[in-house]
Amino acid sequence: MAAGLKTVILLSFVLAVGFLLIILSCALWSNWLPLLVALTFVVAPLPNALFSHCGSDDFSTENEGSGPVDLGRFITSLIVVTGFALPLILAHAEVIKPAACIMSIIGGGLVYGTILAYTAAFKQDTEEF
Amino acid sequence: MSLPRSNYDPRRVCLNPCPNLNIHLGKHRRTVGVYVAGGLFALAHWIFLDAAILSSHWKPPPDAPYDSAPVHVHFVDWIPGILSTLGMLIVNLIDKDRIKGEDYGDSRAVWRARLFLFIGFAFMAGGLAGSVTVLVIKYIVKNYPEEFTYYGYANVSQNVALMLSAVILWIAQSGPSDYEYNLSI
Repeated sequence: MAAGLKTVILLSFVLAVGFLLIILSCALWSNWLPLLVALTFVVAPLPNALFSHCGSDDFSTENEGSGPVDLGRFITSLIVVTGFALPLILAHAEVIKPAACIMSIIGGGLVYGTILAYTAAFKQDTEEF
Repeated sequence: MSLPRSNYDPRRVCLNPCPNLNIHLGKHRRTVGVYVAGGLFALAHWIFLDAAILSSHWKPPPDAPYDSAPVHVHFVDWIPGILSTLGMLIVNLIDKDRIKGEDYGDSRAVWRARLFLFIGFAFMAGGLAGSVTVLVIKYIVKNYPEEFTYYGYANVSQNVALMLSAVILWIAQSGPSDYEYNLSI
């Protein structure tokens, strides 16, 4: 249980650093458009979580996808690519500074990685029972 | 293994079966394919939106501050992307089992599936052709400098990426679940 507690503390720390980077990338230049990146990456795991219960029943194997599950995965990767592309495009059009773009991309990657790692860790914990 | 005996089977959507694509990416082939297709879909639209945002945020160079941009991204540039997206939607809304000829329905349903498959592919090809048309007529013929012809190239790459995304999604979803299964569209 101690390892689980350490993992949770570490993940929350990384999540805080990610949000710090995103908010700094907005606040340092007082241009709050990169905050959309945080919103995007928070929404990103939602379609998979919603649609993963749609397709699979007890008789189908795990890797055999169905229509709704595929739709969830499609929307997930769409949102993730959006999260990475949005700051790049804003920087390309010189709406935000390149430094803000890099900071928000790193922050968004940290936030999304935290969510993924938390999901994986949680899944392992439930399988042990 | 028995093939349909006649040279025309009315239950099949397409006469010629596709060659069996033996792409063995392991058991995660479907998952990876769907993820890649979604990423390409988003990438396509962001490439075009990049051009649109660049066009609307265009600033004159500092040595000639009163210049105006000779061309902007208008609704004409949006049409090929909309067509391609519609075509991709139509193609992917068709029931894959129906197309593979497993589900032996009545012949009218097969006829409808064939018709909508044709319409979907026609929309996608029309989008691609339209983007090339916009690139040539609106940008290349008029000899704009490179920063403006980029709008046209972005449009073409949007439609190419959309088509690639549809192809990858199709292959991922209709691949063989058994290895001796014949993939046929």
